Amino acid sequence: MGKFNVKNKVEEVKKTLNESVDFSYRYFKRESQVIGFIFLKSIIDPQLFSSAIYFPIQSSDGELTIDLLKNDLIKCVDIKEVKEKDLVKEILDGRVILITNFSGKILSIDLLKFPTRAPTEPPTSPVIQGPREGFVEDMQTNVTLLRRRLKTPNLVMDVVRIGSQTQTKVVVTYLKDIANKKIVKEVKDKLSKIKVDGVLDSYNILFYLEKRPSSLFKQIGNTEKPDIVVSKMLEGKVAIIVDNSPIVLTVPFIFIEDLQNSNDYYTNHHYSSFVRVIRLLGLLIALIAPGFYLALQLFHYNILPLNFLITIADTTQGLPFTPFLEILFIFLLFQVLYEVSLRLPSYLGLATSVVGALILGDTGVKAGLISPPGVIIVALSKIALYTIPEEAPQITVLQLVFIVLGGSLGLIGVVSGLVYIINYLNDFDSYQTPYLAPYSPRVTQDLKDAIFIDPIYSQRYRPQSFSPQKKERV
Amino acid sequence: MIVFIIILIFFTPFSIYSPGENRNRGVVTAIGIDRLQDEYEVSLLTFIPTANQSYQEKTSVISGKGESVADAIYNAQIAMGRKIGLSHAKTTVVNESLLEEDVASTVDYLSRVASLPENTVFVCTNNSAKKVLEQSHDLVDDLGLKLEQIIGYNANNIYITDTSLEAFYKGYYSYVKSSIIGYLTIEDDGNETEEISEISGSQKTNEGQSEGTQGSANTSSQGGGSQNEHIVNQGQAVLLKSGRKVALLDIDQLNGINLLNPKSVNQIITIDGVEKDGQTFTMQYRIKTKKTLTTTKFENGYPIYMAQLILGVELVEINGKHDALRVNTEFSEITPEIEEKIEQKIKEQFTASLKILRDCDSDVIGVGRKFFKDNRREFVKFMDTIGGQSQAEKFINYVTFKLNIVVQPD
Amino acid sequence: MKQISIRQCGVIIVMCIFANKILLMPSLMYERTSADSIFVMLLLFLLDFVMLPIFIKLKSIYPDKKFYDILKERLGTFVTKVIYLLLLAFFFFKCLLVFSITYVYFKQQIYQDEFIFLALIAFLPVINCAVFNGLRAFSRTIEMFFWIVITGFVVCLAISLFTPISVPLFFMSSAKDFLYSMHNHIFAFGDFIFLFLVMDRIDFKKGSIKRLYCYALSGIFLVTLLFYLFYAKYQMTAFMHNNALADLLVFSVQFNAIGRLDIIAMLTIMFITLFQMEIFSFAFCDCFINIFPLNKTFAVVVFDILFCLLYYVFIGRYETMVMSSLFWLPYLAIFINYILPILMLVLIFIKTRRDKLEKKD
Repeated sequence: MGKFNVKNKVEEVKKTLNESVDFSYRYFKRESQVIGFIFLKSIIDPQLFSSAIYFPIQSSDGELTIDLLKNDLIKCVDIKEVKEKDLVKEILDGRVILITNFSGKILSIDLLKFPTRAPTEPPTSPVIQGPREGFVEDMQTNVTLLRRRLKTPNLVMDVVRIGSQTQTKVVVTYLKDIANKKIVKEVKDKLSKIKVDGVLDSYNILFYLEKRPSSLFKQIGNTEKPDIVVSKMLEGKVAIIVDNSPIVLTVPFIFIEDLQNSNDYYTNHHYSSFVRVIRLLGLLIALIAPGFYLALQLFHYNILPLNFLITIADTTQGLPFTPFLEILFIFLLFQVLYEVSLRLPSYLGLATSVVGALILGDTGVKAGLISPPGVIIVALSKIALYTIPEEAPQITVLQLVFIVLGGSLGLIGVVSGLVYIINYLNDFDSYQTPYLAPYSPRVTQDLKDAIFIDPIYSQRYRPQSFSPQKKERV
Repeated sequence: MIVFIIILIFFTPFSIYSPGENRNRGVVTAIGIDRLQDEYEVSLLTFIPTANQSYQEKTSVISGKGESVADAIYNAQIAMGRKIGLSHAKTTVVNESLLEEDVASTVDYLSRVASLPENTVFVCTNNSAKKVLEQSHDLVDDLGLKLEQIIGYNANNIYITDTSLEAFYKGYYSYVKSSIIGYLTIEDDGNETEEISEISGSQKTNEGQSEGTQGSANTSSQGGGSQNEHIVNQGQAVLLKSGRKVALLDIDQLNGINLLNPKSVNQIITIDGVEKDGQTFTMQYRIKTKKTLTTTKFENGYPIYMAQLILGVELVEINGKHDALRVNTEFSEITPEIEEKIEQKIKEQFTASLKILRDCDSDVIGVGRKFFKDNRREFVKFMDTIGGQSQAEKFINYVTFKLNIVVQPD
Repeated sequence: MKQISIRQCGVIIVMCIFANKILLMPSLMYERTSADSIFVMLLLFLLDFVMLPIFIKLKSIYPDKKFYDILKERLGTFVTKVIYLLLLAFFFFKCLLVFSITYVYFKQQIYQDEFIFLALIAFLPVINCAVFNGLRAFSRTIEMFFWIVITGFVVCLAISLFTPISVPLFFMSSAKDFLYSMHNHIFAFGDFIFLFLVMDRIDFKKGSIKRLYCYALSGIFLVTLLFYLFYAKYQMTAFMHNNALADLLVFSVQFNAIGRLDIIAMLTIMFITLFQMEIFSFAFCDCFINIFPLNKTFAVVVFDILFCLLYYVFIGRYETMVMSSLFWLPYLAIFINYILPILMLVLIFIKTRRDKLEKKD
């Protein structure tokens, strides 16, 4: 094995890295022995460098050998020997490279440090009771959060690098004695086939993992909370952590997961069941209420009880819009307001909500542009949408579809639409798991944690829908 | 899928332009049918939505005339200028004169209109049906009552049967061809009301022309009709046989008919000449509970209907010398004399009602049906002796009733 | 490939049992056999039930073989194709009849004007999609909605109890009327034949037979209950009420005051109709693919064209459709419901005998 000309090597690397502004190197000389340290100062811990690497070497006596350096002098945890060709990659990963003129071996020392945020409660899934930690952008922290919860040798974390430019680390993690091997293999196969220049967030790889990427429906689970990920892994699912993303993906995903909320597991199970029923009801209202109302108005006035009919007839009389346009108008109005309040800073967002809800809604009704029942129905469906915020994007689109169906075909349109969608969802089994399990097909075992939830002690078995290797939870 | 979306997109413009059913329909809440010489007049109590008005203000009686009911409704529709929605029609009122012929032929159109609910209340009136509909406004104004509520009360408490189109047909198509429908009267209270002026806007519109039929229609706004006439609910009912009126029954007669019906309670029974401590009282009892046990049998080939009635009665009023009422409780004791008198009174009532039913061959209480169900073989044999199944409606004339009444204080 | 579980198979059977029997049939039957129609119906069900043991036997002999292949092996291609052609017609007309009865019901109740286009646009894509997605997807869908549908059905029956009912008079009709009525309404039966078509795709396990019987019996029980309550409620006027399940709810003064409760019946009927049409059109396409060497798309297109044409151009009129179901379709049904199972029985007999002989040798 040849020995290095340290200076030349440093220059070579410097060129390879385009003399980057954060490129740094240090030499240490003792008699004829030269040690070179190459690193990117932006992503290493300089204090640790001086205290754990440079200072011990400096204060040592005698001749230096590579083994001495590796085993005694350098006080870092993660030291490994690397090949010359991997040198640049290692530097880019936030490691300090140590080359010497007395040994052909190259040492790579982990000193990665960059600004990260603390694992705070994620805004997307707040809990009333229960753990408040959330994933952050730093993968190491995320791995730590998982590892802290899963103290088992069965925890597997396989790393894949995706992105020709970003070289993003993607960790496929699962419990090897529980997760279905076929699912693990399928995930790995799909990840290995991804050919892309950069992965900036887990959403970048999400579509590659889906069975029907063009479908409207969500096929991969995502969460920001480590406790959720761990509980899913315990059910036999596979989690995919992407570096620089606080969102962890889980597969397989079934629809009922969105109905579940981590709160449900930290409160009384009777209450949780009740809340889940409300969520389902909310989903149904959100989905079909505007379409149903429109169908009643346009086709089936005779279904309505007389008093209600009088109210509707009263308020819709003399409106400039036809019922269809009215509902569409209110629907779009709400959507615009939603988008505005989402994008604006919170203090302005509040103002727009006031303007939207009070001024536009109330004045619209008073001016005779829109009718109060119309506003109520659309508002109800829009509010109901957020009983399951995870499904909001899909349901919003479907609301529009049902408005068209109800308006064009009446009640049979709405019912047919519903059956059509369920039929469609029943057709795709992503990762060998039926999407609407445990209801269709019915998996009796899994009904213990579906719409109604049984107390934790009676959930002795893992959900069978994901066909885990170990069926019993012991 | 793509074809479906394309078709749906083609359809969407229709719905964009569609003003909706409730904007181009007049919702009919009650139908009235009258006979005017050789044509029918159909009046429709219609709700036409107009912004910012109350319920009463929006309903109006719109009528049309024509050779048939269908024709008249068609003409009324022309008068209204909107399509008619019959699905919320809760009441159908017919004039008494229509009951002189088979009323089923008159209301045939209504039974064929699928959107008209079969449970629409079916009553007749001594006055014109149109007037009843017009007067129903006053009912809402004065008492806060709707027409169907009055009839509903009667149906539940007085007739003890639905007085709906469906109930009428049920009786009409049964082997006895008889049914009972409600009867509402309009009476003049005799007081001239000076402050209410005539606001009827009877405005004649042109005849609705339909192929070969001449029809006319007129529209009167709400509050039409003279104000001193009122719908009077006396709890009467009409007994129909083959769709024709055969008798007008008052409350007592209805009570008699309903004697064997355990659901029929709350009737008041007045008995005179009850002697107590040397004094005579007129006492009124209310039947609070009723249990009936009926059996049928044939004795010597003749049908016998036996019923045991256990009546729980409550003393409600005593008309006599009040100074005798020292202790009220002693009167709630039912003496054999009182029991006998109540029994006698009830039997009289029942006999009177039975006579009407026998005279009209109208077995509305279903005596024949019970015999057929319980003693089918003998029944058929008996029917053969009196002239075959076609005489089934006369069966009630041959039945001997044996009533055993037990009166208990409730 | 095993596509459907026994539970899914059971719910399909229940949907088939409801087909054509819950709306028009009670009132049609009443005209001839009055309340005795319940016995007519039960007898027809009993005859149908014979098919189930035959199916189970056949399935145990040929667990993974297609029905078409079994017939082909025993009877030759031509006869098999003829049988399949008859099956194709049978399912097609069943689908058409279900659609026309429901269409008329909706036209009367909630759509004030003609809406044939709307109905076809709403129904056909859904059932086509079901055919494309295959047996597994639509049987799962039916399974999902099954309890909702059954709850709706039971609620309709339960609400009818709130209005006065009286025991209908039985044994009023003659034997001739009885037989005539049986013959007339035979087309609405023969529901278990669908099982034969998909026999290779059913995942049959131990204890499955019991469950299958359970589903079939509960379906029959519900239909019988419907018949009974309908006759008990309407009696003499039963012939005037063409939509049995929905009419159970209408005639009730108390409920009408709070609005129309028959919306429960409407939704139930909508779901049931859609599922029945999915099942029958799937059966049609399955037969079609077996008879002609063409793919699914072609079968679906043929189904749609035939459906629209027959409904709109040739038959169009509801009465014609219903009359034909009473008069000439029963002959087709007799073949499917009785002759075919007997044929199956003979085949099973021959097969078992031959097996026994082979064993002896």
